[in-house]
Amino acid sequence: MIRKAGYLGVGVVLGAAAAATAPQMLMFASPAAYAAAADTYRQLNLFGDVFDKIRNDYVEKPDESKMIEAAINGMLSSLDPHSSYMDAKSFRDMQVQTKGEFGGLGIEVTQEDGLLKVVTPIDDTPAAKAGVLSGDIITAIDDSSTQGLTLDQAVEKMRGSINSPVKLKIVRGAKKDVKDFTIVRDLIHVQSVRSHVEDGDIGYIRITQFTEQTGDGLKSAMEKLHSDIPADKFKGYILDLRNNPGGLLDQSIDVVNSFVDRGEIVSTRGRTADETQRFDAKPGGDLSGGKPLVVLINGGSASASEIVSGALQDHKRATLIGTRSFGKGSVQTIMPLGENGALRLTTARYYTPSGRSIQAKGIEPDVKVLEDVPDDLKGKDDMKGEASLKGHLANGAEDTSASQAYVPPNEKDDKQLTAAIDLLHGVKLPEPAVKADAAPAKSDAPAAAATSPTPTDPGQAAPAKPN
Amino acid sequence: MRKGLSYLAYGVAAGVVLVGASHDVLRAAASSTTDKLALFAEVFNKVRDNYAEKPDDEKMIKSAIDGMLASLDPHSNYFDPKALQDFQSSMKGEEFGGLGLEVMMENGLVKVVSPIDDTPAARAGMMSGDLVTRIDDTAVKGLSLKEAVEKMRGPAKSPVKLTVERGSNGDLKEITIVREIIHVQSVRSHLESGDIGYIRITQFNQEAYDGVRKAFDHFRAEPGQTNLKGYVLDLRNNPGGLLNQAVEITNAFVDNGDIVSTRGRNSDQGQRYSARSGVNLSQDKPVVVLINGGSASASEIVSGALQDLKRATLIGTRTFGKGSVQTILPLGENGALKLTTARYYTPSGRSIQAKGIDPDIKVLESIPDDLKGKVSSMGEASLFGHLKNDGEEEKGSDAYVPPDRDKDTQLDAAIKFLHGAKAETLRSPDSPATVTTVQ
Repeated sequence: MIRKAGYLGVGVVLGAAAAATAPQMLMFASPAAYAAAADTYRQLNLFGDVFDKIRNDYVEKPDESKMIEAAINGMLSSLDPHSSYMDAKSFRDMQVQTKGEFGGLGIEVTQEDGLLKVVTPIDDTPAAKAGVLSGDIITAIDDSSTQGLTLDQAVEKMRGSINSPVKLKIVRGAKKDVKDFTIVRDLIHVQSVRSHVEDGDIGYIRITQFTEQTGDGLKSAMEKLHSDIPADKFKGYILDLRNNPGGLLDQSIDVVNSFVDRGEIVSTRGRTADETQRFDAKPGGDLSGGKPLVVLINGGSASASEIVSGALQDHKRATLIGTRSFGKGSVQTIMPLGENGALRLTTARYYTPSGRSIQAKGIEPDVKVLEDVPDDLKGKDDMKGEASLKGHLANGAEDTSASQAYVPPNEKDDKQLTAAIDLLHGVKLPEPAVKADAAPAKSDAPAAAATSPTPTDPGQAAPAKPN
Repeated sequence: MRKGLSYLAYGVAAGVVLVGASHDVLRAAASSTTDKLALFAEVFNKVRDNYAEKPDDEKMIKSAIDGMLASLDPHSNYFDPKALQDFQSSMKGEEFGGLGLEVMMENGLVKVVSPIDDTPAARAGMMSGDLVTRIDDTAVKGLSLKEAVEKMRGPAKSPVKLTVERGSNGDLKEITIVREIIHVQSVRSHLESGDIGYIRITQFNQEAYDGVRKAFDHFRAEPGQTNLKGYVLDLRNNPGGLLNQAVEITNAFVDNGDIVSTRGRNSDQGQRYSARSGVNLSQDKPVVVLINGGSASASEIVSGALQDLKRATLIGTRTFGKGSVQTILPLGENGALKLTTARYYTPSGRSIQAKGIDPDIKVLESIPDDLKGKVSSMGEASLFGHLKNDGEEEKGSDAYVPPDRDKDTQLDAAIKFLHGAKAETLRSPDSPATVTTVQ
């Protein structure tokens, strides 16, 4: 059995990862390789010949590991944009991210004007218990200044093994009070699911990415919403998948199953039989009590997010509001390479229950609603999508136009969310917004598309990092 | 003997080639650094077996080789058989079917720098300064220079129609020209001001030394050749070429001494090239070498040697700074590898890698406003992954030569110098911003 956990995410930066479980056999041993052995050998021979010539004749002693890594990266870059090589360290980082837990303090941080700033301490973590507050500036970690560190480097310094202490120097408030904290690291769970009651009668659930914690996180969120909102008042759910780049396939299936009780959720098709699979809802999985459901999507909703929205749309279980999704219709498999890290390889395409592939097309919302984008972000808030990525898998008539991927930081400015609430409250939506294909010609809809080659999260000026 | 011919140039486009000298026996990948190659083979096979679509093995391997070479230095490349063929034919003197025009891009149009003597373009009456607006009814606007050149080239005897804008009234002319095989001369020469032998080398291809020898023959045949005051060797914007041509051409100006030495990791890459006596063609007359930010590699070997041997005065701006040697290693039917195998050192033992050669007399050209900022070469030191050198590295310099001879300040300075002007009176002020032309 060659298959690993399927992984779906648009970008390594934002993406979650699949933890590999079973060891992978050397491909030399597989029958397919034998069949094409002669040609394979000829190609590998050419590569080996070049490698040897460099080793023997290059002006300086070359770094062989670096050469091989560059060769592997070069080879994978000739495939699609989602196949990549991870060295041992990036593989570990990816596993941490997918697992959704790590040793750390429990604060979300961001970088602002070169300063390391606390966005928020996460409830029930060492940082929250020690009294770290939103807006605190961290000037030193373990007595070394945070000046000049990248956000990643700072996060790296704050993470560490459970029960180990870390010293933070913090500058707080307008008076710039300096405080020293010593905090003992604990196991931190990245919350991929957040929820709250909207307007007293709507259950709002936001999934930021599909990690190993997502399915369980959703179940507890739904239970809490049911206990917070009286059943007779409960108008329905909003499932917010905007700017969610994807993650684990099995978790996306789990999420769909929490809203439907039967029928196909998704099927995958690859070149080999074991990449071709059909996933159905398990009876008894539906926790939603049949309440109405709105799914919010935008140009940053990709991959696992598109499996969820595609399935719920095909089942007519949800109304999709927002803008067209990213269009990543492929599945990656993580193949461990022993001590050399792992290969993330595109192994299959997936199909929604009605049999459509959304690859390079995206999913059109049932109700298209655009956000008002602030002037300084105009032109930067659009996601060009899979069809614009170099080397993407082809899929007939593609949609290369950009789709909006901006979510206002302030909820009251959030027109997509407002539309979702109105719909669940039975308010008739304004006419131009209702027809998906008749998008109102809005002056604030940027004509110029963002050209970012890899998907980023344009909804946030600076990335926030949990640690 | 594993070595092919040595090659020096900083750009493939401008570059010249080598014929591979020997064949390597193909060796099984598994027989060398096994672990590293095994990892590569494992990934290759995983992709072949599991990728969502049937992958193109050849493209994968080519991309792998390109990726691997890119991790070395900017001058190591892989040539597939087609690229190798192009490279080899360009090195033999760039024979191709074409019109015989030297062109550049100006405001999105192709501008004729000069028609080459004795070519279809010259016979059809094409003139310097003509702007080509259409080629076979395709508008030139929007094409790159390379694309436009590609369109003008084609098999010999095939016709091509050019729409040409000439002169200040913008008269449009349609000219149909039949293509011929064009030989690009890498060496051109003429007398300047009646008493100075001017030799321009555009690149060091296989014919470069013969061209220089013929230039000296021509000078000798000129009436009054005994009054020759000296020579100008123009290496501006010459990207390099073959090492042996650079050595031979240097030898045409000196009788003895080291010309260049190369050093690699292996002893067969370490070689010293010294002048042979009896082949100096210059009769010990004074020499000025013109250099600029576009003079690289083989050009730097020649100017570095002539400077160190105090045989020439270098005028112009700092050279590119490519101090490495590439060897073409044949890969049988799979093309060839152009690999950086050595650094070279001038006779005084210096490496010019990422530093360049500073002229003895710095003279700047005045650059037209519309070209300012576009005609400077960034130099080796600015290339990603370039080989490091000890000490301070230096960026590139201007690489502009006025198409109009009358505006060529560097060439004027060379002639004045050979006529006896003092260096101080020729030198440009240090800040280019202060350069003004006095009418």
